[in-house]
Amino acid sequence: MSVRLLVLVPVAAAISLALSAVVDAVALPLFLDTTGTILATALAGPGVGIATGVVTSAVNTLRNPTFWPFVVVQIIVALYAWAAARAGLFRSFRTAIPAGLGLGVIASVTSTPISYLVFGCTTTGGIALTTALGRALGLSPLGACFFGSFVSDFGDKAVTFALVTSVLHALPRRTAARFPWALRAMGAA
Amino acid sequence: MTRLHPFTLLALAAALVALAWLLPAPWGAAGTLAVAAVLALFSGAGLTPGASPGSTGTGMSPGWRPGLVVLRTAVVTAAPFWLFLFILHDVPTTVALGLRITTMVASVVWLVAVLAPARLVEAMVAAGWRAGTAYLFAATLSAVPVLKARAQRIVEAQRCRGLSPRGGLGPRVRALRALALPLILSALHEVDERALALESRGLVPGARRTPLAPPPDRGAERAVRWALVALCVAALVWRLA
Repeated sequence: MSVRLLVLVPVAAAISLALSAVVDAVALPLFLDTTGTILATALAGPGVGIATGVVTSAVNTLRNPTFWPFVVVQIIVALYAWAAARAGLFRSFRTAIPAGLGLGVIASVTSTPISYLVFGCTTTGGIALTTALGRALGLSPLGACFFGSFVSDFGDKAVTFALVTSVLHALPRRTAARFPWALRAMGAA
Repeated sequence: MTRLHPFTLLALAAALVALAWLLPAPWGAAGTLAVAAVLALFSGAGLTPGASPGSTGTGMSPGWRPGLVVLRTAVVTAAPFWLFLFILHDVPTTVALGLRITTMVASVVWLVAVLAPARLVEAMVAAGWRAGTAYLFAATLSAVPVLKARAQRIVEAQRCRGLSPRGGLGPRVRALRALALPLILSALHEVDERALALESRGLVPGARRTPLAPPPDRGAERAVRWALVALCVAALVWRLA
């Protein structure tokens, strides 16, 4: 890994963690905690993306220890983003948002067993409350847990993909060309 | 306790979390929680009041016994989980999962309080880890507060320009883009500067660094770490048998 890509990992991880301040400002029910992972993957490929996901989870664990088991989700997000970048799905919102919705489904399917088996679906307040709503609607415990994860992940990943697409297209072409995957992810190469 | 080798501290925290899930509930998790609570209570030994060696700190202030503050932080962090567990599950499940989650929270809060990131980096380099790997964690820990402060400045600047992050979904999403884009682009533009700074300091792929003050790794501590691994393996075998 070159020094530039090595530096990209902590920068992207810090972006994921610092975006919470922006989300707080607009008061939207979003996490955006995979933004750095998806961005790093779209810029520099799966190795950098997976490293970013692992570092993001490790540092987030110091703030909230329940984040660590979800490192698996970060790795799957990086692999999915790599496939999306290979297919050039970051070329426009029309391709990126459906891809993000697909990731939302995959992420919720992946996180549900972890959340259910390890934490009894109580990882964050929002997910716990939507899980309680699912139980009130008559869903089984596992179904309610999936419902909670799905509600939180589905829109979040679509917005994240749209945000990463905005960033890639806002980057100066010369800057983007310094990263090995950026132009391909945008469908420009 | 802060004088223990960083790998020993990590092994203790990891073993407590693993045993909390491996041993039968509720007594196994209650035992690991008791150990984690004792560790948290005595985490202040050797600390100066008002200062924490950990990266994120635990809000220590003069007049508080540091160990009590660490314990209080763990309790405050774990409390919402108990509430949501109580809403979603019956009492035995709530107790079993609550004790396990609280053990995890208390162990990590204790670890953050007693483990200074700089010592961990020194230990990793001394143990033969590549300097780049050690850099990843240290650089992220230092970059997060910088970017969070920048995000706050961008929020204030955009508000001065008339951006309103209120209203319906559409205006909020547009406001999100107007706030997030400058933050991410400015961070990406720093990549080249940081890469140049690292290269000029000799951090290139494959290069070995010499630790300035490697933490001493005594034989007894190495034995304790192996004993913790053996304990976790034995607990796993016992539960699977």
